[in-house]
Parts: sequence; C-alpha cells; structure tokens
Amino acid sequence: MSGDLLRQFHHHAREKAQDPAHRKTIRWAIDTYDAAVARGKTRFPDWEAARQRSYEIKWEAVNHLDRYLEEFEAKVIQRGGHVFWAADSGQARNYVLELARARGVKSVVKSKSMLTEEIALNPALEREGIKVWETDLGEFIVQLRHEPPYHIVTPAMHLSRGQVIDLFREKIPNDVIGDSHEELVAAARRALRREFFAADMGISGANFLVADTGMIAITTNEGNGRLCTSLPRIHVAFAGIEKVIPRLQDLATLWPVLATVGTGQHITAYSTLIGGPRTPQENDGPVEFHVVLLDNGRSRLLADSEQRDLLQCIRCGACLNACPVYRNIGGHAYGTVYQGPLGSVLTPALQGLAQYQHLSYASSLCGNCTSVCPVKIDLAHHLLHNRRNAVQEGDRPWRERLGMRLWRWAMMDRRRFQLAGRMGRALLRAFGGISVLKPWTESRELPPAPTMTFRERWRKNGAR
Amino acid sequence: MVRTITLFIPCFVDQLLPQVGVDMITVLRRIGYEVDFPDEQTCCGQPAFNSGFWNEARLVAERFVRVFAQAETVICPSGSCTAMVRCFYPELLASSPLREDALALEKRVFEFSEFLVEVAKVTDVGSRFPHKVTYHDSCHLLRELHIKEQPRQLLRQVKGLELVELNHSEECCGFGGVFSVKFPEISGAMGEVKANHVEATGAEFVTACDPSCLLHIDGVLRRRQARARTIHLAGILAAQEGAET
Amino acid sequence: MEHASQNPGAREEILSRVRAALKKTAQRREAIAPGPLFAPVANPLERFQAECAANFMETMLTPDSAATAAALQRVLASLPPGEIFLQDAPELRQLASAAAQGRSVRWSSAGAPAESSQATVSLCEALVAMTGSVLVSSAGCGGRGASVVAPCHIVVAHAVQLVLDLEAALARAGQIAFDNSYVGLISGSSRTADIEKRLIIGAHGPRRLVVIIEE
Repeated sequence: MSGDLLRQFHHHAREKAQDPAHRKTIRWAIDTYDAAVARGKTRFPDWEAARQRSYEIKWEAVNHLDRYLEEFEAKVIQRGGHVFWAADSGQARNYVLELARARGVKSVVKSKSMLTEEIALNPALEREGIKVWETDLGEFIVQLRHEPPYHIVTPAMHLSRGQVIDLFREKIPNDVIGDSHEELVAAARRALRREFFAADMGISGANFLVADTGMIAITTNEGNGRLCTSLPRIHVAFAGIEKVIPRLQDLATLWPVLATVGTGQHITAYSTLIGGPRTPQENDGPVEFHVVLLDNGRSRLLADSEQRDLLQCIRCGACLNACPVYRNIGGHAYGTVYQGPLGSVLTPALQGLAQYQHLSYASSLCGNCTSVCPVKIDLAHHLLHNRRNAVQEGDRPWRERLGMRLWRWAMMDRRRFQLAGRMGRALLRAFGGISVLKPWTESRELPPAPTMTFRERWRKNGAR
Repeated sequence: MVRTITLFIPCFVDQLLPQVGVDMITVLRRIGYEVDFPDEQTCCGQPAFNSGFWNEARLVAERFVRVFAQAETVICPSGSCTAMVRCFYPELLASSPLREDALALEKRVFEFSEFLVEVAKVTDVGSRFPHKVTYHDSCHLLRELHIKEQPRQLLRQVKGLELVELNHSEECCGFGGVFSVKFPEISGAMGEVKANHVEATGAEFVTACDPSCLLHIDGVLRRRQARARTIHLAGILAAQEGAET
Repeated sequence: MEHASQNPGAREEILSRVRAALKKTAQRREAIAPGPLFAPVANPLERFQAECAANFMETMLTPDSAATAAALQRVLASLPPGEIFLQDAPELRQLASAAAQGRSVRWSSAGAPAESSQATVSLCEALVAMTGSVLVSSAGCGGRGASVVAPCHIVVAHAVQLVLDLEAALARAGQIAFDNSYVGLISGSSRTADIEKRLIIGAHGPRRLVVIIEE
C-alpha cells in the first residue's frame, strides 16, 4: 500500500540524510562528475543548441514511434535477427527463459541494462539454475553485494575502495592480488574474463535502436559490452520501445551528448553498433541475435500527451547528479529501479500514481533537473503535474484536502487572512515546540513572530 | 516614467517578516519612487499550486489578478512569488476568464533586484553595510526568472561590503514550501549542507532575494548557534549605517 | 537459418496501443536552424594524434610499408611472449612476414582470436580526427574479437582513411552497415571509474591501443 512505501521511504531517507560518511562519498563523486561535465561542455560552441538538437531527434522518434519501430524490426529480421515484442515484464522474462532452456544455456554474461533490472531478469534466470555474471564493474560489485544499482550510470557510487577490497577478498579471493584501484580492476578483469569465454549467452541493453540500419547501439568504457556481444554464441538485447531513433546519423549528435552528460567524455570508449548475428563471411560472433522490445507501461505513458516527452529520456543520469535530494539520500532510499528525478516521474507513470506519488512530493522543485536534461524534459514540471494528478484522482490524505480548503477560505478574504495570520503568530509565540511544528523544529529554530505585520505598519505610518 | 510602485508583499512576509517589506519601501523611496500597497492582497496561491491543489490555487490566483488589475508596476521581494505570477499563472489560468488579465499582469510584475537594475537602472542605492556577506541563489529566481547577476551587481555597490562567493551557491537550500515539513529529514539535511557552505565562507551574513529560503537557512544557523546571520537583500540595501544590533 | 520472428510476441497489441496513443499530438518546441554541433577540425592529422594522446592511445606515423612493418615489429617485440591474432588481409599478410617473426600467429580466416592472444592486429574502416576514434567492423576488420579480446590492439591504417568528424564516420558506417553485423567506434583504451570515480586504464578491453598511420 502507498502508506507503507511512504513510511519506508521516510525511514531510508532519514537514515541516509543523517549519515555524514554517505553524504561525503556521494557529494565527492558528484563534484568529480560536475567538474568533468563542465570541461566536456566546453567542447560545444553552443551547448544549448546541442540540447535542442537532441530534443528534436528524440521528439521525432517518440512521436512517430510505430513507424520507426516497424522499420527497425524489418531491418533486424532482414539481417537474420529475431524481434520479440513483450507487453510486460513477465513476457520479456519468459521469452529469454524459454530460449535459454531450448539452447541449453548454463551461464550468461551481462552488459549493463537498467531494463533488465526493471523486469527483474537475474533472479528469474538464477531460479532456472543459470549463472548470471554482471560484467560492468559497478554492476559486478553490487551484484556481489546482493544490492540493486545505486545510480543508473555509476552503480557503485556509494562504496569506498575499502569496501570493494573487503568484498573482493570475500567473494573472489583467488583473483585478488593487491589493494590499489588498479589491482581491484585487474581482479575483476581476471574473474570475469573466464566467464566471458565460458558463457553461452550474452545479454545487453541498448542505448538506442537505429531504425534505418536495423542496428542496436551500445556504449561502454570498459569493453564489457563488446565481449558480451562477441564471445557467447547467443546475444539477446533488451530495450524499451521508446529507445528507437530514426537514423544512424542521429548518433553524431546523441553519442557525444550522452557521453558529455554521462561522464564528461567527448565520446564513450566503445560506441558499438550491432545489426544481427554473424554474417556468413564473418569469422566470429554470435550465431543468434534477439531483440526484446518492452512496453511495460510505456505505451500508456505515450498516450499522456502532457508527459509523453518522458519517453525521450536517454538514461544519462544527469538529473540524478543534479538533484539536491538525491545528493542527500542517495539511490537506494528511493526503493525503485529508477532513482532521482527520472525515477520520481517515471515510476508513477509506469507503475501507478496511487502507489508512488510520494516520490513526486519528495522534491523542493528546485528545477535543477530540468536545467541539465540534455533532451529538454521539464522534469520539475512533471513532478508538479503528478501532484496535480494525484489531487484530481482524490488520492491525497483527507487532512491535506481539508487544510487546503481552509487555506483557500482564508486567502479569499483579507480579514480572514489577517485573522488566520494572527492565530498563527500566537501559536508560534506560545507553543514553539508542540508536535504539529515538530517537522520544522527537528532541525531548525522557529522564526520569531513579529508583533506588527507589514500591513499594520503600512496602515500606521506608511511603513516609514 | 514610472513613479508609483505597487507593492506585492507575500503572505508570509506580511505576517512573519514585515521588515523585508519595510526595507524594500525604504530603498524605493530613497531612489525617488512613491509606493502603494493594495490592502486587499493576501496570497499569490503558490502553496496550493505546488501541492497540486490547482482548483484552490486558481481561485486565489484569480483574486490576485483582480487585486492588481490597476497596478502599473508591481514589485515583489520574493523570487518564488514573482515566478508564480510570471511563469506559472499562464498555465494555472489557461482556461480562466481572467487569462488575458493574467498575461498582461505578467509583464508588469518584477522581482525587487530585477526592478532596480533592469527598470530603474540603478545599482548604487546609497547603502552602507560594512560586513562580509555571501549570496545564495534561490531556485525560482535563478531558474525560472533567470536572475543571477543583478543581486550581485547591487551588492558590489554597497559601501564597505565584502562580497564572497558561496560554494554551491546554486544548490537548493531545502525549503521548497510544504516540502520543508512533509519531508523534514531531507529538507533539514539540505539546510545543513547550505549552512555548512555559508559557515565555510566566514561571512557574517548570508543574503538572498527570497525570504522563504532565508527563513529556513536562518532556522538552521540559529539551531547551531552559528556566527552567520541571514538578511534579505532589501535589508542590506536599506542600511546606511551598517547592521542594526 | 531458422525462420526469423517466428514468435513476434505481443506485436499487434503493442503497435495498436502506440498508434492509438499517437492520435493525440504532443507539444513541440520551436525548431532551431540546422548547423554543426562542434567547431570544424583544422588540422585533421594533428588533431587525431592529440585526441589519441588524451585518450591514452598510441599513434605512430610511418612514411611507407617498410617503416610500417618496422613499427609493427617494435610494438610486437615490446609485448610478452604469446600468440598474435591478425586479420587475414593481403596487406597484413605482407607486414606479418617481416614483423611477426618468432611468434605463433593465428589468422582471422581460421576463426576467433584465442583467449591467450597477446595482441590483435587489424585494419580499420576509418580514423576520426575530432574524437581520436578508430572505426572498425566485423567483416571488414577481422571479426568482432579482433578489436577487443587481447590486451593490446594494433590498428594498421592509412592517412587517406582519416575523416574529420562523427558525421563523416557515421556516413562511412552507413555505407558498410549491411555488410557487417558489427560496426564500432573505438575511442581510447578500455577504462573504468567505477571505484571512487578514479580513472583506471585497462578494464575488460585492451589496455593498449596502437594506431600505425602510413602516409
């Protein structure tokens, strides 16, 4: 029930907000990111033009989604790939499970995919006795810790090197040789290299689905995405239906924009295009290529013409890093697959406002997310719209509805307003610490209550 | 040429921080303007709007538009309240019979520092405030009204004032209206971070163009008995002998 | 090859929902005039080398094939003992006879590179000046593994292959897109900053990327 989710959110938010070590780690990571992105943006003579261009490409794609999806599908099939359309998480999982069973798949290597988190794919595969290895280093780390990713781009942002050392010594002791950052990365490389070569199936996400060439686009810095899609004999790629873009040339804009706000780079080290299983002329590569297109509420969001532009999101993570709430509570406190401003707007849209409206209220509406989004999604405004929608659906607590009615009653008449003000100030003066004011006073002193209001001073002597 | 300014005094400024309004009038009179205060005003509707209660907010907003219908130039000492009228009334009142009046009013409403620099075209208002001061960029002022340089231009002209830049000056202080009491654990943490940055500057005062931010930051600073105090920009500009003790 | 798309899943259901949704039009921001996103590249070769250096890639300029062979030999000699995997192309066959002496050699025509390969050697589809990137392909450059399996990847390129920017690189990619199941841009050594945001070179892909550019 929504009440439970809200209680849990408060609990976790409080825990993290009051943890100085956590705050220090997150702020330092985000400050590093901010500096890199600021440098990266200087490569663009006109960053605002780049945002607008990115917006236009994604707007075109989302607003003609059926056309581009059909074009993409036709090209993939032409090239010998399979396209499976999954209405929901269950259908997506079942497709892969049946495929894995039919092909005798024993182990899977995965390149990072938030979508596979959304459909809870790993536990389903593991229940089948299939071993799943996350190969993005951050994902590998949180997988070993049995935790969800902390951030959509930097999954292990909340951990120190010390914590990773302890983790590796416990879980992959034979691969660990030293304690430095380099040696930890080398240990992960050693552990995962075996698995890359042994895996029967590689699973990836897709940053973009390119309609005119029938290719999926994946970007990584580590090269794990390359190995997942080169070595195993089967490759399955998961993508939301909103990931399609019209043309290969669109990547000339989207690749550098994504890289800039994702990590501050001009372009990610491995910007990969995959268009099918190996051709008869090729000496290596998967013999089977499957693309799973997932709806899972996206077509419903598409139908909301006010919030449709949420589907333009390129999952860059900029809004998470920009959000002062995220900076204080971190990724896990949200309790959802997608965190930060993106998660606060997307989760209610995909899973229901009734359950998740509290995320839209857990914001000071500072607007920083809106100002950084590279595809110009007005996230702060969507939070406001969600609040409006929650009220319209009659979902707000009765106390709040009553309070708002009283507020309106007071504000519609000057004398009532003055009366309400006088009562409020008396309350402030007399009962500073009472429970109704506790949410304020738990961390702040109350403002002093003046004896004369502004209008009283005005009436007296023109406020001279 | 505009000679009479109509004052838009936010509801909580009227009730809790009247000095902000008084200081704003002092400055306006000093530079040669007459001021008028329509007594009928109550609130711009922002609390209800931000909470999603748009029907309630609309009624209050329509009343606001009627109260200020005859005003030539409206000035407000709050970025967020000014933004409410300029940036959000068009959407809130899109299907209201007062839609056109709201759009017309939008063009005549200014935030205080914006008015001084852009309309009155003054940056030196004859102030003296010999203290170390740091400035907090409040969110709606910065991101909705795009006001960033104007308050700094005004502060730099104040005699004796030493202006130091605040680290992460653009980061939200954590007030966010009802957010401050709905999610006090987060609001409080954000306030702490802001207070830490203020204290790190060694400034005696932190100032801003939003009294709501200052209310919140002040609460945090006084809780920890910090040396730094809050003061609205109008308070600094009104001062001619330095801070009152 | 099995009949593709024999199980399309909820295709009709999803597409009809999408079409119904799009009957409502969404607002669109005013468009801006088309134009380049980046400043034009002035000196392509210099720019390419500078970008590569910033991205921890090595570049070597050579005047002719003899010098290229010598450069290749130098790089290989610096590596630990072990097998070298090469794209089976006439140019590389020639270079290898001089450069890969004393090493066991595996050609792409024999299959995928071995896990223990010390280096892979391939041609490329293009070099991209603006980003310091190498455009590679599966059929055109010795397979998918050729650019990622070994700790060192050596690219043998020619100066005429240098293009200015991503538009040009993607135009080339578009030309070869239907002849290759994989086309990719490689811009730097493999790296990660997932632990405390500290940049470490050499994650799963090659730690060393060397581009030999023959005039």
